[in-house]
Amino acid sequence: MNVPPEARMGNDIARQLGHLPTAQAAEAIADHIERFWEPRMRRNLEALVAAQDDALDPLVVDAAGLLAARAS
Amino acid sequence: MSMVDEPSIWSPELDFGTPPMHDVDTVTPSVTVTVDGHQVDVPAGTSVLRAATEAGVTIPKLCATDSLNAFGSCRMCLVEVDGVRGVPASCTTPCADGMVVSTQTDTVRELRRNVMELYLSDHPEDCDGCARGNCEIQSLAATVGSAEVRYGRPETRLDVAHPQPLDQSNPYFAFDASSCIVCSRCVRACGDIQGTFALTVEGRGFDSRISAGGTDFLSSECVSCGACVQACPTSALQENSIVSLGMPTRSVETTCAYCGVGCSFRAEVQGDGDDARVVRMTPSKSGGANEGHSCVKGRFAYGYASHRDRQMSPMVRDSIDDEWRKVSWEEAIARAASGFKAIQAEYGVGSIGGISSSRCTNEEVYVVQKMVRAAFDNNNVDTCARVCHSPTGYGLSQTFGTSAGTQDFASVDQADVILLIGANPTDAHPVFASRMKKRLREGAQLIVADPRRIDLVRSPHVEATHHLPLQPGSNVAYINAMAHTVVTEGLHDEAFLRERCEGVDEYLEFVRDPGNSPEATASATGVDPDELRAAARLYAQARNGAIYYGLGVTEHSQGSTMVMGLANLAMLTGNIGRPGVGINPLRGQNNVQGSCDMGSFPHEFPGYRHVGRDDVRGIYERLWGKTLDPEPGLRIPNMFDSAIAGSFRGLYVQGEDIAQSDPNTQHVEAALRAMDLVVVQDLFLNETARFAHVFLPGTSFLEKDGTFINAERRFGRVRPVFSSRVGKDEWQVVCELATAMGFAMSYESPAQILDEIAATTPTFAGVSFARLDAEGSMQWPINDNAPNGTPTMHVGEFVRGKGHLIPTWFVPTTERTNRKFPLLLTTGRILTQYNVGAQTRRTDNNTWHPEDVLEIHPADAELRGISSGDLVDLASRVGSTTLRALVSERMPPGVVYTTFHHPITGANVVTTENSDWATNCPEYKVTAVQVGVANARGTDAVTEVREPAETHA
Repeated sequence: MNVPPEARMGNDIARQLGHLPTAQAAEAIADHIERFWEPRMRRNLEALVAAQDDALDPLVVDAAGLLAARAS
Repeated sequence: MSMVDEPSIWSPELDFGTPPMHDVDTVTPSVTVTVDGHQVDVPAGTSVLRAATEAGVTIPKLCATDSLNAFGSCRMCLVEVDGVRGVPASCTTPCADGMVVSTQTDTVRELRRNVMELYLSDHPEDCDGCARGNCEIQSLAATVGSAEVRYGRPETRLDVAHPQPLDQSNPYFAFDASSCIVCSRCVRACGDIQGTFALTVEGRGFDSRISAGGTDFLSSECVSCGACVQACPTSALQENSIVSLGMPTRSVETTCAYCGVGCSFRAEVQGDGDDARVVRMTPSKSGGANEGHSCVKGRFAYGYASHRDRQMSPMVRDSIDDEWRKVSWEEAIARAASGFKAIQAEYGVGSIGGISSSRCTNEEVYVVQKMVRAAFDNNNVDTCARVCHSPTGYGLSQTFGTSAGTQDFASVDQADVILLIGANPTDAHPVFASRMKKRLREGAQLIVADPRRIDLVRSPHVEATHHLPLQPGSNVAYINAMAHTVVTEGLHDEAFLRERCEGVDEYLEFVRDPGNSPEATASATGVDPDELRAAARLYAQARNGAIYYGLGVTEHSQGSTMVMGLANLAMLTGNIGRPGVGINPLRGQNNVQGSCDMGSFPHEFPGYRHVGRDDVRGIYERLWGKTLDPEPGLRIPNMFDSAIAGSFRGLYVQGEDIAQSDPNTQHVEAALRAMDLVVVQDLFLNETARFAHVFLPGTSFLEKDGTFINAERRFGRVRPVFSSRVGKDEWQVVCELATAMGFAMSYESPAQILDEIAATTPTFAGVSFARLDAEGSMQWPINDNAPNGTPTMHVGEFVRGKGHLIPTWFVPTTERTNRKFPLLLTTGRILTQYNVGAQTRRTDNNTWHPEDVLEIHPADAELRGISSGDLVDLASRVGSTTLRALVSERMPPGVVYTTFHHPITGANVVTTENSDWATNCPEYKVTAVQVGVANARGTDAVTEVREPAETHA
């Protein structure tokens, strides 16, 4: 399966932080993405979330929501 | 009495005859001796020979040199001591307080003359070294006054008592036994300095001779470090370059351009200006990193700088299918600048970026990141540390507060237990490996955690106490099991944790979980739990436990997690903040530490300060007169993904060969093909240049003026032996490109660039060319708090205040074996080649490693009908290549190994897009593969797969 890069990388982060309580994990993923991802990658992730890409880990979807909220 | 001679050309550094007294555990008292009327204070135990030299008195010697312990065989350094009978050898006689020594009495002068007569009686009159000035016999004979030889002298090398054939098997040096005086300096250098023990003395008495283990040098265990050649007082062991070119006339102190050890060298040179050429490289005794030692790469493999493949002119072409066209610098720079600006005009400022090089100086790297941030107006700058030690940066920053190793190399001299994981220093960091082996011979114990039986598991006079053959991909499970053992068996340093660290209780609870026990993790690690527990106890109970690691730690999907795990283990046991302990990343390339330090990462300015910090950005905005982007830029793999997606279309690449070094070659090449403009600045038309539109010729380290920072955070000066062979320095080219892009950038010299770095980065505030030239190398931080640098970090307090223990959950990689790809491939380096081989493949180092080979366990080989030397296909889910097999019990069953030095095999054709979760460092160390015999396709099978850029031997 050809997983979009942002989905693969987001899922990798989620797998590492998945041991945390859900809300805390989403916050940590969002923090990491905000600190290290270039804006277009964040936009690509938002687009994947908007398209309900089933490759995305639910924690990444939550994190993307947090990022969107922070940006607004 | 004779005063110390002016330094001779072959030894500009004064030779004190025996090593200085080093006793790290006690303060050695001083004694006063008088030598030929000169009083001198020396540490007790110092030899009379060394004390005399320190007093300015030269004592003739042959078998003694200050890189080796005294041997006392040549009988040249005889002296008389008041109140002592006889004529002791000054090299083996320790000084006693009040001792009065005479070095030039009639008795000792007569004895020396007689001894020298005996040496001359079997030393050929046609010794080419004597004639050339590269043999001490002739000059010493003159010094001691041996004008006559009563026993006669052999006229030619064929007339000596035991003529031997000249051994010219090694491509870099020859052994001529006829000039040999069997002083054993070479044998001792091979053993005591290099730790290889390839040489011996065969025979007895007058029949004794030096032997490379009964064979020629090339066929022997010799690793061609050159320590024997350097130690030889005659021309018995002599560089071929000295024979072909003659003796040097001047020397330039500089820093090696190979691995992260960062050895200091004296480039010995003939001629000046454009006619200058290097005759040989001699490691500097004063080099803080190497203290007079070297490896086969640093000492001998410098010929690439003048190789015929080197490109000397800027070139352009409209399409990557066109031929290159040589143009002026102005045209090439204008072409690059206009191309980049056109791309940005159409696709936005974020559509271009740059990659800086870990083979370039700090000053060259700094201007690249400045060009990207200020002229490109984005933060799309990255460096090859992305694909090697970026997890070190992340992991150590999170736990300790800064992105670097904690010790100097000398620290290993005080380590009692060494945990070596994911590193193979005898191949990749050989000069440090020699230092480590010396400590092991002194009694330190070693734990090797590595899938392969690397040389340090068992080699002459070294045997690891524990070898833990981890399954690739199981590092974090392993380090958690180590920590679990330490904590549950009560071996942790509770006082250190409570005083120095935070997150302690959460971490202890995490690591105590039975799921982290050696027994529970054994199915993942493949390691015997009892052996792992014993190793954990050994490390934890050591007076000084030190961790050394390499890319076997970082190049995993959990690379950053593993670095944090190592930091946790060091904190748990209190092994941080003093000599002999610490976390020591063995950096790959010569300036990979420096390239990271200089702000090459897309989220950080120099000194590891995030681009989002207003205060830091303000420093540069005020200085550069530009508003800077507060958002992180693209990392290298992100650049490739964005190129394929169409939003990233222009790339400047400084001295890196991403098409060979980065994983999933097909993906990288597709990205490069997708770009509108690729600008490559390099010595050679490398693999990446196959996809370039503008080529800017680069400079070798022999032309550079600047600084490197090695793995121990040491700023070392790089000094030009001759000026740029291509008409411009690399920093100048970058400045002109930035200027052509619309951001005026200029410096009068690289010293001015370092001044700007120091003025804007607190960690480097105290460094300058002037200080490095006057005081020698120094380790950062260098500032008001540490005016002379910082050999050991985190003493008393971590950089971040409290050390941060962070739970490290083991998450298996998604790269798993299956029926189609049942083996795991892991990749690495070999001694004689370096990285993508751009330099070493253009030297005689190919003698030892002309091609990459696949190491495979006998059981896996037998199952597939593979014998050593067979051509085999190596395939993963992303690609395949063909190379020769080497059946080896160094490998565990189920794991195969190769190197990535040769583009024709292109090991990265099979490595995948998987990467470290935090940093995107590729998971080079775990790729599921299958291997099958390819003999039927014949030797052309290799070239069927790959068509690399042309490289001449």
